[in-house]
Amino acid sequence: MNLISSYLNKKQDSTTLAFFRIGFGFLMTFSIIRFWLKGWIETIYIEPSFHFSYYFFEWVKPIGNLTYLLFLICGISAFFVAIGYKYFYSIIVFFISFTYIELMDKTTYLNHYYFISVLSFLMIFLSANNSYSVDSYLKKVNYKKVYQWNIDCIKLLLFIVYFYSGLAKINSDWLIEAQPLKIWLTSNYDLPLIGTLLQKTWVHYAMSWGGMIYDLSIAFFLINPRTRAFAFFMVIFFHLFTAVLFPIGMFPYIMIMGSIIFFDSSTHKKILDRILKFFKLDIILNHKKIKTKQINRLNFRDTYFTIISIFFIIQILLPFRYFLYPGELFWNEQGYRFSWRVMLIEKKGYTNFKIVDMENNSSFYVKNEDYLTEFQERQMSFQPDFILEYAHFLGDIHSKEGIKDIEVYADSYVTLNGRISRQFIDPKVNLYKEKRGFKHKKWIIPIDEKIKGL
Amino acid sequence: MKKSHYLLSLIFLSFLTLFISCSSEELPENDDIQEFDRGAVMENYANNIIIPRYNDFKSELDKLKTEVIEFTQNPSTETHTSLSNQWLEAYKAWQYVEMFNIGKAEEIMYSNTMNTYPVNQERTIDNINSEKIDLSDPNDWACQGFPGLDFLIHGVAENLENILNLYNSDTKYGDYLIVVISNMRTNTNNVVDDWSSYKSEFISSTNNTATSAFNMLTNDFVYYFEKGLRTNKIGIPAGVFSNNPLDTKIEAYFASKNSFKDVSKELITEALEAVKLMFSGTSKTGSVGPSYKSYLDYIKNINNNGVDIGSEVMSKINTSNDRINDLDKNFIYQINNDNTKMLATFDALQKIVVNFKTDMLSLFNIAVDYQDADGD
Repeated sequence: MNLISSYLNKKQDSTTLAFFRIGFGFLMTFSIIRFWLKGWIETIYIEPSFHFSYYFFEWVKPIGNLTYLLFLICGISAFFVAIGYKYFYSIIVFFISFTYIELMDKTTYLNHYYFISVLSFLMIFLSANNSYSVDSYLKKVNYKKVYQWNIDCIKLLLFIVYFYSGLAKINSDWLIEAQPLKIWLTSNYDLPLIGTLLQKTWVHYAMSWGGMIYDLSIAFFLINPRTRAFAFFMVIFFHLFTAVLFPIGMFPYIMIMGSIIFFDSSTHKKILDRILKFFKLDIILNHKKIKTKQINRLNFRDTYFTIISIFFIIQILLPFRYFLYPGELFWNEQGYRFSWRVMLIEKKGYTNFKIVDMENNSSFYVKNEDYLTEFQERQMSFQPDFILEYAHFLGDIHSKEGIKDIEVYADSYVTLNGRISRQFIDPKVNLYKEKRGFKHKKWIIPIDEKIKGL
Repeated sequence: MKKSHYLLSLIFLSFLTLFISCSSEELPENDDIQEFDRGAVMENYANNIIIPRYNDFKSELDKLKTEVIEFTQNPSTETHTSLSNQWLEAYKAWQYVEMFNIGKAEEIMYSNTMNTYPVNQERTIDNINSEKIDLSDPNDWACQGFPGLDFLIHGVAENLENILNLYNSDTKYGDYLIVVISNMRTNTNNVVDDWSSYKSEFISSTNNTATSAFNMLTNDFVYYFEKGLRTNKIGIPAGVFSNNPLDTKIEAYFASKNSFKDVSKELITEALEAVKLMFSGTSKTGSVGPSYKSYLDYIKNINNNGVDIGSEVMSKINTSNDRINDLDKNFIYQINNDNTKMLATFDALQKIVVNFKTDMLSLFNIAVDYQDADGD
């Protein structure tokens, strides 16, 4: 008990957290603008007539043209987080709006979007606006210190992301077959200089093993002051390299920025002061009227700490929930998401649905393009929960059209990590009768090969 | 403690050197694994398949134009027969080029103007009566091209006598026939002529980006097989996408319906042959060059437990061909008397779509051309 309370009282320079807040805020502002400019709000959220929902969150749907407003709110709150203006409310608004956006359609699920949701939730409870912020300027108080656990919990989250994505790579496909990197790297033949090298078997293996070791160890090397500079160099190299190879958007830059938190506060101070000087903001912030105090004593410190502890227990356990399901994880994808399984499988499917009218004993196949965008169809075709949700949607709309006794069957084929495609969904199961939920999906035809490992 | 840190750093350092060495250093020329040359595939496709097939088609279309003129000047049983026969020859040659929806063809919606069926009869009749010349409105896609000709040659009346009567009594019919064939020739010349300048760009555009010619050609090929061949020629008429079979939606419907000739089977046989030759990189003369199939063979060799998708597809094409051979040459009869054979053909073709859309596109790791978003 003593140990905990003395840890809770440990303090650190507030600059580190301010630095992280500014970096995070601006990257998020930029991400939202980028998403907007690419026209994805239109193509992903507004154009599709049907949206795939998360279980329990079926009520979260795009709101027509107001979706733009939602993105605007999200972008502005990210900017407010960056400058530290009404930080507590801004980060809450950001967390809610960003998470709402992600919940609108799970077709766009990405681990790094989940990461941003989780991180922004965590940041609600951190005193990230105690210095280098509009808030501290307006209140005319700078706090020199923040509680160390504030900084440590961001580090812990980064550690979990890296370490778990490393653990997920310990499997026979990744390490023994060098899949899916073999497929992905070979297809990067058009890269200058390295395109030829990416055809080589030893490169596929070196990068599979290197990636696994990198993910498992990088956080340790970042924590250790003696290896930190070198590890950070590796972070930059690794993430920029993946940015060149794969279409992963903002993720590499978010991770590079995030990793800077492992450095000393003096580094953060140096960078921040230099930037402020460049924009001539240092004069404003060093205004004499702004008092400098030691620390802002939080009112709800213990409550916050409890919430964060529960949060991390969930974070640590959640990725292992797949143990509760029988069968091959990569094939069934039960308990696959929200677990830092990043760039792990190459999967493509082809799934068509048969609507059977039992009353008239007739049937027909649905043209997926009548209801789904290409992007949605692609994602739906190899993910069982998508297939089931879509089957229910099809059943519902055809029931409305007057077919009373209706059954929906899937004709589905999937290829995984270079294996030849095989039937994915039991074609004799009426999916319209199967319930959504977290129960094991017995209608997935098990893959007859075992992928060994975690 | 300190020692172990040192050791860990050392291990890490060795990985760093490995990474750096693989990103910058030596680029070995004389390596035992022969790198695959996509440019060679494109060259083979352009020189030995696409351009020769377009030229064939163009000359068949020129002959068709002649027959149209003959017929319109003198509508008789003889001129009608040779027009109808040449229509079939050109239609067959068309089956070898429909899948190349790239470059100029994509730009002018070439295949839509050439082969959208079933025909919109009402609108076509309106067009004839209003002596319409400009057929660029997308609503007119179903009033022109080969299906349009099918209707004009075999379907404007119930039998030959009545058809000839129409053409003899009212020049509007002949005029519209000429408009349609002229339109087809203009578009075809547009596409064929463009290939002489487009060819070099086509051959060199082998990057793995959504807009590269290699990726677009591949996506188009798969799309054509699924929609143009499987869905349109078999699936829709067999009632796969509706409650009941729809015999009026077969390719070359009026030729069958009014008992001129049954050609739907012949056309799909040619179309499947075209896909087979394209997939295997085989020219009209039978010479074999680099192709999707040889690319799949290359990937199979890189993956140590790789599967032979190329042979798989080839044998499934042969099976599909057998299913097509089981069909009556009159699809209307087949659909109404034993639709299960149509469905069996659909299933056989469907199995190829599975290999194309999952295995082949996955192994090529083709960047998709429709909609883009980040992955993770």
